Amino acid sequence: MQRAAHVASCSWPQIVKPAMIRHSLKCRAPLQHSSRAYSVVPPPRDDDERDAVHRMLRVDHAGEYGANRIYAGQMAVLGRSRTGPLIQQMWDQEKKHLAKFNEILAENRVRPTALLPFWNIAGFVLGASSALLGKEGAMACTVAVEESISEHYNSQIRALMENDPERYFELLQVIKEFRDDEMDHHDTGLEHEAESAPGYWLLKNVIQLGCKAAIYASQRV
Amino acid sequence: MAALLRGLRAGRVLRGLSSVIAAPTTTNPQLSSLRRGFRCAALRLQDESKSDKSTSFSSSSSSSSSTTTHHEHYQANSAEHNSEAASQHDFDPSAAEGTKISDQEQDTEYETEEQLHARILAAALEFVPQHGWSMEAIAAGAESLDLSSASTGMFTNGAGDLVLHFIAQCNANLTEILAEQHNQVQQGQVEPKKTAEFLKDAVETRLRMYIPYIETWPQAMSILLLPHNIPDSLKHLSTMVDDIWYYAGDRSTDMNWYTKRAALTGIFNTTELVMLQDSSPDFQDTWSFLDNRVQDVVNMATTAKQVQATGEAVVQGLMGAAVTLKNLTGLNQRR
Repeated sequence: MQRAAHVASCSWPQIVKPAMIRHSLKCRAPLQHSSRAYSVVPPPRDDDERDAVHRMLRVDHAGEYGANRIYAGQMAVLGRSRTGPLIQQMWDQEKKHLAKFNEILAENRVRPTALLPFWNIAGFVLGASSALLGKEGAMACTVAVEESISEHYNSQIRALMENDPERYFELLQVIKEFRDDEMDHHDTGLEHEAESAPGYWLLKNVIQLGCKAAIYASQRV
Repeated sequence: MAALLRGLRAGRVLRGLSSVIAAPTTTNPQLSSLRRGFRCAALRLQDESKSDKSTSFSSSSSSSSSTTTHHEHYQANSAEHNSEAASQHDFDPSAAEGTKISDQEQDTEYETEEQLHARILAAALEFVPQHGWSMEAIAAGAESLDLSSASTGMFTNGAGDLVLHFIAQCNANLTEILAEQHNQVQQGQVEPKKTAEFLKDAVETRLRMYIPYIETWPQAMSILLLPHNIPDSLKHLSTMVDDIWYYAGDRSTDMNWYTKRAALTGIFNTTELVMLQDSSPDFQDTWSFLDNRVQDVVNMATTAKQVQATGEAVVQGLMGAAVTLKNLTGLNQRR
């Protein structure tokens, strides 16, 4: 009896695994695009759903745009220092994220937030002023911002999973990938002595409060 | 019985009234309760009046109207109706007439309230040149569909519903036309138009839809500007402008998104005003005005682009000068 159970438990993964692999392969293959008529976001079923998804995409786009401007501000100050290449590397990833959201927004006819010019200036100023505190200050800013953004992505993932994970499979993939990138930036910041920045605790909390306010405003306006 | 007769008389008076002036003063709960009484009266009368010819005529005419008004009542509280109908079947041993009426109701049941609204309003558009954008036009439209003119009570916003319906219909038509053009371009049958030309054609197509109603259009515009209609009319305007830009191939996700839409909204609204005062054949003046405004926007966009390019060049020059200065003063060492 025990042996039978053991055999079953052994053979079970063998049965399941190929099917799962096939399933995941199927999902990853470009074939997916032709079987579904959209690339990332499914067509909304009603107005409420459309509004909710649009709000989500709008704030994500605004967030990536703001992050880009922060890195631009940091590069303007620290671009020629030793941390330059590191910041440039993170900035390049953010550029990819922004390009992806630009694409998604255009495809789904989502209105971008009206606060973009404000985020443009505010992001640059935040990046530049934190970089003026030195390399640690810039890293502390990165840690604070990336933590807020990945928290925000996590809450979106939670909402989508609650709603209908099958339907939003592609969007979830995109958000998860970006969330992981942001977490990487967060860890990179901690590795590079973010916590030794002057007034780290205050700096981080003020920036995160600002991020929350920005998320709140960008969802609505 | 006396109450029923009074109800019937009240219904007739209402019909008479609403064919002359629609009854916007009648509030909804009153109207629906009246309708309910009216329908009961019709049902009972049909049972009673098998022998009486004149009464049966009047009851059948009123029953036809009652079925239509009843229809939307059915939508509102069907559960209540079901129990009502069941009880009616129980009480009427000879329910031949009753079942006939409920059969008619089954036929119309497939039409939702919105569809009925749309049908009446579409019919009412024919009467707009005659009656203006008003409840009379809706009543005339309803009557042309063999419905009671009392069905105007369904339209709580009155003439506003009619104008908004027309605008929505125009927008839908325009979207259809643009989507078709878009398909043709994608299949390579037609050369893609330049953006300026595309915008001009789209706005012209849209404004030409007003031509059959141009005499009464100022009235419609004033109705659209009533405070309670402003949210809806703005929504229709913005979706139309968004549709035009979408099919013009705009995929911007920055502030251009706003400036482009604002510019097109301005063009559309000013051209609409010009069109109202245009007496030239086939509105030639309007279209040349439109052409000029579109050109203005194109010129403005190129100017803005040039200014931006100049600004960037100046900033780069200044940055270069700053770096030179730093090098000269020896500040530019790697940290």
